[in-house]
Amino acid sequence: MEFQLNEMFKHQFTVTLDIYNHFQMCSNDRNPLHTDEEFARAKGFPEKVMYGNILNAFVSYFIGECLPTKNVIIHSQEIAFKNHVFMNEKLDFEAHVSGVFEAVNAIEFKYKFIKPDGKIAAKGLIQIGLLK
Amino acid sequence: MKRAEIISQLNEIFEDIIDEGSVSLSETSTSNDVDGWDSLAHIQLIVAIEKTFNIKFSSDEILSWNNVGEMIDCILKK
Repeated sequence: MEFQLNEMFKHQFTVTLDIYNHFQMCSNDRNPLHTDEEFARAKGFPEKVMYGNILNAFVSYFIGECLPTKNVIIHSQEIAFKNHVFMNEKLDFEAHVSGVFEAVNAIEFKYKFIKPDGKIAAKGLIQIGLLK
Repeated sequence: MKRAEIISQLNEIFEDIIDEGSVSLSETSTSNDVDGWDSLAHIQLIVAIEKTFNIKFSSDEILSWNNVGEMIDCILKK
């Protein structure tokens, strides 16, 4: 097995304007919380709130591009949003191997995105399969 | 743990993973008897069973099962 229990992986992500624009185009979600500064401020936020599901795309990048093998496929992905993310915030991503299931060539990761102030932006669980 | 307790826990696991409504497994149940028990669900079921019972299967063990009863036999041997 290429993965060891508790093995840790780290990466840093930033929701840039380019990523924000591409995600908006992809999702076609124009909700004012994400697109209208005045609306966001009226709801108590300092600025537009970034789409939470951009973080799901970052998880996809992590699985597809950051692991030591490309022979992977996502079986399931769970995410819980804990704190809002804003434009250009640097998010530290940490994932550790929380389960190795050799009989079915599956790996589970627990992951979290950490904001610059140390708060958790989101956390969750990913199960992947290792392709033969 | 008794077989009835195991099958009760397996029903809960199957209902959670397969998400096709109520599941009522018997000792003779196979993947042909349970809607949604496909190859991907099978992997997720094995992962969930290993975590629930805190056991590990080998691939040979999994391949040897012909029905849920044989799966239970294997769990009881752990």
